[in-house]
Parts: sequence; C-alpha cells; structure tokens
Amino acid sequence: QDSFNWRMTNAYGPGSPFYVEGPGSPTDFCDKVAAMSGGRLQIQHFAAGELIPALEGFDAVRGGAVQMNAANAYFWAGRIPAAQYFTTVPFGMNFQGMNAWLYHGGGMELWDELYAPLGLKALPMGNTGVQMTGWFREPIESVADFQDLKMRIPGLAGKVYAELGVDVRLLPGGEIFPALERGVIDAAEFVGPYQDRRLGLQNAASYYYTTGWAEPSNTTELLIGLEAWNSLPADLQAIVTAAATACNLESHAWSEAVNGEAMTDLVENQGVIANVLPPEVVAELKSVTETVLADAAAADPDLQRVHDSYMGFMAEHKTWAALSEKVLFEL
Amino acid sequence: MPMMEILALCMIGAFFLLLLAGVPVAICLGVTGLAFGYAGFGGMLFTLMPSRIFGVVTNYTLLALPLFIFMGIMLEKSRIAEDLLEVIGLAMGGLRGGMALAIILVGVLMGAASGVVGATVVTVGLIALSPLLRRGYDTGVAAGIICASGTLGQIIPPSLVLILLADIMGESVGTLFAAALFPGLMLAGLFVAYILILGIVSPDSVPAIPAEERAEVSGRDLAVRLVKVVLPPIALIALVLGSIIGGVAAPTEAASMGAFGALVLAALAGRLNWPTLRETVRSAFVTSAMVFLILIFAQPFGLAFRGLGGERLVQDAFGAMPGGLNGQLLFLMILLFVLGFFLEWIEISYIALPLFLPVFLASGVDMAWIAILVGMNLQTSFLTPPFGWALFFLKGVAPPEVKTSQIYRGVLPFIAIQLFGLVLVFLFPGLALWLPEAIGW
Amino acid sequence: MTVFLKTVADIASGIVRIIGQVTAWSGLALVLLVAFNVLGRYLFNFGTVGLQELEWHVLAVSALFGMSYCLNQGGEVRVDIYYGRMGPRAQAAVDLFSSIALVVVSLIIAWLSIGFVEQSYSIGEGSADPGGLTHRYILKACIPVAFLLLALQALAMTCEAAVRLLTPKTEA
Ligand code: NA
Ligand code: NA
Repeated sequence: QDSFNWRMTNAYGPGSPFYVEGPGSPTDFCDKVAAMSGGRLQIQHFAAGELIPALEGFDAVRGGAVQMNAANAYFWAGRIPAAQYFTTVPFGMNFQGMNAWLYHGGGMELWDELYAPLGLKALPMGNTGVQMTGWFREPIESVADFQDLKMRIPGLAGKVYAELGVDVRLLPGGEIFPALERGVIDAAEFVGPYQDRRLGLQNAASYYYTTGWAEPSNTTELLIGLEAWNSLPADLQAIVTAAATACNLESHAWSEAVNGEAMTDLVENQGVIANVLPPEVVAELKSVTETVLADAAAADPDLQRVHDSYMGFMAEHKTWAALSEKVLFEL
Repeated sequence: MPMMEILALCMIGAFFLLLLAGVPVAICLGVTGLAFGYAGFGGMLFTLMPSRIFGVVTNYTLLALPLFIFMGIMLEKSRIAEDLLEVIGLAMGGLRGGMALAIILVGVLMGAASGVVGATVVTVGLIALSPLLRRGYDTGVAAGIICASGTLGQIIPPSLVLILLADIMGESVGTLFAAALFPGLMLAGLFVAYILILGIVSPDSVPAIPAEERAEVSGRDLAVRLVKVVLPPIALIALVLGSIIGGVAAPTEAASMGAFGALVLAALAGRLNWPTLRETVRSAFVTSAMVFLILIFAQPFGLAFRGLGGERLVQDAFGAMPGGLNGQLLFLMILLFVLGFFLEWIEISYIALPLFLPVFLASGVDMAWIAILVGMNLQTSFLTPPFGWALFFLKGVAPPEVKTSQIYRGVLPFIAIQLFGLVLVFLFPGLALWLPEAIGW
Repeated sequence: MTVFLKTVADIASGIVRIIGQVTAWSGLALVLLVAFNVLGRYLFNFGTVGLQELEWHVLAVSALFGMSYCLNQGGEVRVDIYYGRMGPRAQAAVDLFSSIALVVVSLIIAWLSIGFVEQSYSIGEGSADPGGLTHRYILKACIPVAFLLLALQALAMTCEAAVRLLTPKTEA
C-alpha cells in the first residue's frame, strides 16, 4: 500500500490554541489522520512563519510545494472575492446554520466549483462559534458614537463600520494591545473571550460588546491541492474528510467550553463590562451590511451566486431556527 | 543520523567557512541555503522562497527600520548627533566613560521607542561610533557598548521578541512588556557599572575629554550649548516615545514621528538644503538595504534548514534533556545560546520553544518568567560571534578601519554581563514578575 | 579582455546606480506617508485603508530595490578577520567567487518568483480588505525585477573582481 508524506502550513503562529493546538485544531487533524490511516498519510504541520509567512498558504498549495493549508477562506478575499462567504458573513448564520448550508445546502458544491479551476479543494475543519463585537474604551450609546471612532477591524465588517463613520485601522495582532491600551485606537475586534483574554485586551479596554454580528461563526478552512488530493486512494480521501468533519465538531465544542469559563472570569474577576449594542445601533449596522453585501455581490458574478445561495438558505433556516432554537433559549 | 540532518550540519559548516573566508554575509546565507537545500530535497520547496521574501519586505513591523535609520542619518548628516556627544562629554567633566554612559541612555530611550532588532543598533551606531573613536575610545569598547546598548531595545518594551514570545507561550503581550521592564533597566544599570569600573581599571579605553579642553569652555558657555544641542535630539526621542505613550501612534508607526521630526528639526535649524536632503535619502536607503539584504538572504538559508529537517537536530538534542525544572531551564538556555551562533531569533523561537513548552506548562512555573529568560537569552544571541545580527549591523555602518575582530572582541564583556543579568533574573524571578503583579496585568 | 570587462562593469553598475538614485526617494516617501497617516488620524480623524496599505507597499519597493544599490555603494557586510589580512589577489579571488555566486543566486530567485507573480496576475489579486489597494501582482513583480537588477550589479562586481585578478601586480 502506498504511503504519503505531506506538508500542511497554517496561517496562525505556533502555539495558538484552537488555530494550531488543542482539540479539533489543525495539528490535532494531522494526528487524527495519521492514527486513522495507520501512518499511511503523515502530515507534517508548519505554523505561520515556520515554512512560509502567515498568509502565503494559498499560493503555496496552488504551487504544489505543500499539499494542505489551514486558514480562513476570507483571507483570500483579494484573490477570490466569494471566498468570504465560506468563513463567515456579517449578520449571517451561526455554527448550525453555516454547517447546514455547507454540508447540505449546496455550500460545499459552490466552494468546490470556485476552487477547482485554481487546482484547489477545501473542507471545513473547525469553527470558533459565535465571536464578539469587540472591545471599546468608551460605551457605545448611539450610532453617533461611531463617528471618528478609531477601530481595529479587518475585512467586510470594517467596511460596514467605515460607512458609519468609523476610522478603520489595520494593525497586526501584536500591536492591538499596546495601541488599545494607549488609546491610539478606541476599539478593537479580535476573536472571542478565551482568545481575547489570552491577548490581555481586558487590561486595555473595559467595555466588551456582544454579540458577534460581524462573525456569527467562523469556519476554519482546510485547503488541499487538487492534484495531491486526486493522488490519494479512496480510503485515505475518506479518512481526510472524516477527520476534517470531526475537527469541525470538536473545535467548536472546545470553543464553547472555554469561552463560557473565560467570559465568566472576565466579568466576575476582571471588571469587564459585557453589554449588547443598543437595538437601534444594531439595526443601523444591519441595514448598512445589507447594502455593502449587495454592492459587493453586484460587482462579481461568482460572489453573486454564492451570496444568493447563502441568503436563500439562511432565510429558510431562520424560519426553522425561530421556531426551534429561539424558542428553546427562551424556555 | 539520516542523510538530511547530516546535510543540515554540513550547510552550517559551509556557511561558517564562507563567512570566515570573507564572503559577504548575505551571499554566504543565500548560496549555502540554495546549494545544500537543493542537494537535500530538490527544487520543489524553493518555490516557497518568493513567498518568504514577500513576507519579509511587506512585514509591517519592519517599517520601523527605514524610519529610524532615516532619523539616525538625518541626525548624523546635520551633525546634531556629533555635537550632542561632545557636549555630553564636556558636561561629564573628568568622569571617564561619560560619553559611553550617554550612549547607554540613548540605547534605553531608543529601546523604549522601538522594538525592531536592527533599527536601534544601526541608529545608535550611526550617531555614536565616530564621535567615540575620535575622542580616543578603544574601538572594541566603543563597538561593544553600541551593540549592547542597541540590543537593549529587544528586552525593553515595546519589543518584537516579546510579542512573538507572547504568541508562542500564550501570555498576554502586556504582561510580558511589564515583566521585561525591570530586567531591561537592570541590564542598562549593569552596563553603566561596567563602564564606571572600566574607567578606573583601564582609564585609556574610555577617556574623559582632556582637562585643558574642558577649561576652554566656560560653565555658562557649556550650559548654553547643552540646551542648544542636547535638547533637539532628546526632543526627537521624546516625540517618538511620547507619541506611543500619549496614544498618538502605535509602536511601529511611532518611528515616523522621529524621522519626520528630524526633517522638521533640520529645516528649523536651516540645515535642510537640497544636497543634504539628497545625501540623507541616499545613505538612508543604502543603510536600510544593508539590513534588508541580510534579512532577505536569510530566507533561502532558513527554508533549507527547515526543509532538511534541521529542527530534528534540535529535537534529538531535546532527547538528552536532564530532569528537574532547573536542569531543564539551564538546558533550554544553553540550547538557545548555541542556536544563536548561526540562526536568527525568529527561527530559534519557532524551533526550540514548542519543544519545551509542554515541559514548562506541566511544571506549573510562571510562563512570563520563562519568557523573560528566553527574551534575555535571545537578546544575547544578537551579540554572539560569528553570526550576531547586531555585530553585522554595526559593521555595516562603521568606518572601514573598524575590523570585525575588534567588534567581536568588544562585545565579549557585554555578553558576559548579559549572562550575569540572566542569572540574576533566574535566581530572583521577582525582578520580572513583580511589576505585572503590581499593576494587575 | 580587461578593457571589455571594465566596460561591462561600468555600464552595469551605471544602470544600477541610476535606478538606485531614483528609488532611494521611496525612503523619504515612506517617512512622509507614515507621518501623514499618523498625524492625519490624530489631528483630523482622516485616514483610509488604501493609504495604510500603501505604507508596506512602499516599504517593499524600498527594501527590494535597495539591495542592488547597497552593493553598488559598497554597503555589503563581511567578516574581515582573515579577509583583511589577505593580499589583493586573494581578496579579488574571494570577491570573484562571491559575485559569481550572487549572480547565480539572484537569477535563481528571479526565475523562481516569476511563477509567484503569475499566480497573482492570473486571478487579479488585490487586497483582502475592502478599500485596500488592487493590482497586487505589480508589487509582487518587483521581486523578479529587483533580483534581476541585483544580478546585474553582481555581474558588474564579477567583471570588476576579474579585472583585479587578471591585472598583473603593478600597484604602487
Ligand atoms: Na523596545
Ligand atoms: Na548570534
């Protein structure tokens, strides 16, 4: 029987919980695959910076020098605008809805369709669950408070905030803390309670807004070179698929577990004030988001197709969720 | 030992041979990396090289490098720096080593304003080396004090090293910044003590400005000159630091305040004419490129080291690790120190730390303390010959008559001092842990 | 022979010098740009994503094109413990080896990066951030161009070292 030695690069640095280490993480995925295949498929994992810089995995897999890369699809938005939708969409679906769309609502077919011409294939391999709005030095009471607010916020959400007068700042992860602590920026979005506490953001700002309207869930992308994938026998392909699915579930379960603990600790022991944005602010964000998404979709036919599929599925799923989970939460 | 690991060792050996033969550092790195990498794993992995190079030249945090260098060259060209050290030397009176003490202070201030390796060494080297030599300082001592003061910025926050360690070790950046403050200042203090002792033991290596020359300058005259020449550069550094503390700029972009400020300063002093500007622009370009050339050509070497499984050499060494927390820590320190002879700090951190992390996590010791020990150790590795970044950077801006051997010899005492500082933090963890505890970070 | 080599060296290093003198201004542009972004944000709440991204675009151009100009101006760093004690011909031999090695390394890297640029060009890569800069392949194309320029500078150094090696010992 053939055996394979592959390489996987990662957009996140060594040691990052969830993104690199821990239950359902990419390194866990590599271990799982090795165990399930009896060592026939060995994947050597390289965190960001070990083999290539953080955001170069897409080209590396495309070029064939590595077979897999772990990241978030929205990092490739400059290459494939529609890739955004395979990570998260502002005011979009949570973990359940996103997976329902990907696995059974046509999401993965669209993903394959977009990536195949580039010699790529992708699988969902993790999810952070609901993220947070972010950290603010001053409370947000109305939309007017967004005017000239300096915020570290990447991606589509940044565009939405910008429309409401926010001054969007791009800063590398390591400079978020010093910049927020000194007031160079007034607000910052990072991940969720566990990861944010690890960065120490609670020592830089006290207002922690919820919920993650910008990232209601966040899918980890396992990117695979199509040529490498096709070279695998069917049983190894099945093992890779199953391990990715297992990580998708396990990483989310782990996130739910540690975020609960972290949130409680932040609020009860570290003086953090957790709050929901005022309803009229959320409404405004939502309406701007719709315009921003529609405009982006209109500019790119692929994006339009994915947008329509996602939104169509979400409308249906919302009807169901409103009668199931929403009711359940309010019991 | 597998073939690949033997090749990795050969690559390191060949690198040292070429380096000692006088082949430029960048070319040594590039040619050994490509040759041994190709021999080991063929061409495929090298298709990743453009990605690595792109990563270096678009690295946001490296913005501080050309910005600080611009400031340094501007200060040098407009002769502000030279006047500064002269006046400080005069003001220190008969105290031997006075100018060196001023350089330590500049190192601390620059270190508090920047976290990038090359930026501080190059800038301090640019402004301080020539004046020191002209005043009769021993070349080795001058080079040593500049390299050592310049690398202080690696431990004094903000610091790229600490940001990376925070990421790897799961500590918050703020905690590490707070933990590093006292150890960093302590090192500076140790340097000061060394210079003062040197002034007594070996007065000729750190001479004071001759008494007759000092006598020519009246106290009143000196006071005026102090205000006129000391104020502007201090104001520049204060501008950079102030813009960080005052919430005007994030650490990396704050460097622009220094560079822009230097332009404004030169303009105000009426020294900003076309030839000066052109000269400044060109030599800042060359000096930044000197640093980038080495960083860029380190990429084939780093890629080959990885591709040849060089990290397995470290893993093998790890297998020989002694038991007990102190033994393990000592082992890590020695390993980091040895790796510092031929690898750059990012590669070292990525290769060695993940191996040791589980051991330290299981032992339950404070990771912030470990991080500071690692940070101080890495900082020392900038100074260790033959492959010390700080040494190369200083060589790059030094006049040709300054020889590598003088620089190598000059840093030795400072390496010893840093190791002594490391031992102090090891014996008294409170040096690092007290501040974060006290301010609740 | 030596006349020919000298001519090649002069032409090649002349080209590198002129391009270097022009691209050197990117350093000043960087100072002004970053300062503008900082002060604009602080004083007038002005700033755009595109201008922030421009910072590291300019940095990349500066770093890449600086390489050849740095060597052109004699900015290379070497360990001179033994080199310093060598005779002129031995030094010329080391320099000849170094510069030939550099020609080869630069050409290989330039060649390797063509695929990197093509990948970017084929999908019209731009910024992943809305409001960011487009046409990223232009920036990426600076890599092969800069390394070709570096190879040209290395060629000049090769010729120059060969001349020193070929010239009989007649120095004063
Ligand atoms: Na620093
Ligand atoms: Na070293």
